[in-house]
Amino acid sequence: MSVIEARDLTRVFPMPAGPVTAVRGVSLAVDPGDFVALCGPSGCGKSTLLHLLGVVDTPSSGTLTVDGEDVATLGDVARSRIRLRKIGFVFQRFFLLPMLTAAENIELPMAEAGVSKSERAHRVHELLEYVELSKRADHRPSQLSGGEMQRIAIARALANRPRLLLADEPTGELDQTTGQHIAELLDRVNADGTALVIVTHDAVFARRARRILTMRDGVLVSEERVR
Amino acid sequence: MRRARLWVMASAVTLAVSGGGVDAAEPAPGVLISRQLAEAKALSPGSQIRLAPGGDGQSAQTFRVLGIYEPTPDPMEISESKFKVRLHLPDMARLVSGPADLMAAETVDQVNLVLRDPRQASTIATQLMTGTPGIVARQARAAVSGAGTFVVIERFHLAIAIVTIIASALFLLALSVMLVDERRDTVGVLRLIGLTTRRVLAQIFLESLVVAVGGAVFGIGLAAASQFAINRYFQWHYNTALVFVRVTPGVVAVCLAIAIPLGVVASAAASWSLLRKQLMTLARR
Repeated sequence: MSVIEARDLTRVFPMPAGPVTAVRGVSLAVDPGDFVALCGPSGCGKSTLLHLLGVVDTPSSGTLTVDGEDVATLGDVARSRIRLRKIGFVFQRFFLLPMLTAAENIELPMAEAGVSKSERAHRVHELLEYVELSKRADHRPSQLSGGEMQRIAIARALANRPRLLLADEPTGELDQTTGQHIAELLDRVNADGTALVIVTHDAVFARRARRILTMRDGVLVSEERVR
Repeated sequence: MRRARLWVMASAVTLAVSGGGVDAAEPAPGVLISRQLAEAKALSPGSQIRLAPGGDGQSAQTFRVLGIYEPTPDPMEISESKFKVRLHLPDMARLVSGPADLMAAETVDQVNLVLRDPRQASTIATQLMTGTPGIVARQARAAVSGAGTFVVIERFHLAIAIVTIIASALFLLALSVMLVDERRDTVGVLRLIGLTTRRVLAQIFLESLVVAVGGAVFGIGLAAASQFAINRYFQWHYNTALVFVRVTPGVVAVCLAIAIPLGVVASAAASWSLLRKQLMTLARR
């Protein structure tokens, strides 16, 4: 069963000047362990599609299933639960909580999911080692470099062992070398079994994916199998 | 003879402190003097003073200080002289009677009576007025409470309080909106991680409650500390024991009853407006 399956997804934004269709009739499926790169020019609807897939936004029409469950009609609580347990998010600007340490940022989703304290501590330790930042556990985001913040953001996204990780320009704010390290880390995450969907403008990074989906004007115009 | 209290203002009498010289066989009549007068003229019980009915010092008589008293604080007399002397009624009559006024010793313009049972003041005043034509008797407390000045001041204070609360509420709401907006990223991240709207609101509500209670307690503490300083300053400035500011339990209760709900509602309203926005717009800049 696909981790996520979208059929004929459409998202229309009502605007004062008239409705704008950001995503038009998109269908796709992401299987367990899949790695999909969403590419295309700015404003083509990549991020909007990512938000629809992440149960952040609600489609105007079409169906979306996560682990076989139709999420289009779910309420706020149920959608929040899916985001908490089944989907991880990584953003271009990291979005770590500045008042929390690196370890606390990673721990937060687990605490919300009701994971026991001892289990949380063990998992935080495990994830910090996974992203090679054990020594930075007690540092706040302001004390971390961009690459380190993105590693912590990835660790936080993996905290509740999601089946799907969505990343919106995860290397967009990083220099080439640091971006390369983040790309390698995401490769490792995918190799360990987590399905990945990334939005990127970086053609080199996109070629790490198994499939590259290209969008234009809200429509999927091509799909390329890379490996 | 009934003992009554009469007030002689310092401006109306001439005071002269003497070291004695009064006939020992006929001791000078005793008086009580106000603390302010005692401090200003370095008088103490046993001191001899000379009081005259006019500013020219004519017809001065010698009196002996028997004691020092703290004048009852009266807001109506805040800017007046605190140099006061209490004399026995016959002494007072003798002091102020002129040689041409044969009935002077029998004439009194005003007498203050202190009743053992103040609740009977109204009845006694009525009895005095009906029983003795020409006498006007009224309760001192009633006269004070009906004083227009204090009614106006009290209403003015109420108006200031209402305006202050409304202005504070608007200021607090604007401040809350700004503070919550500054946390747009945080709220967005919490929502993306999977916290529900209700959960985020509860978190903000709890924080607001802590801040509101802390703020209210701080404000009350500040008021309590200020009241001490304000009272000390104005008591020194006006040389009076009058209490100018008093933070009573009632005032504290009103403060808590207004400040805490106001703080919580302002934060909740600001947060609610933020949470109503699309989830992605919360985290997008």
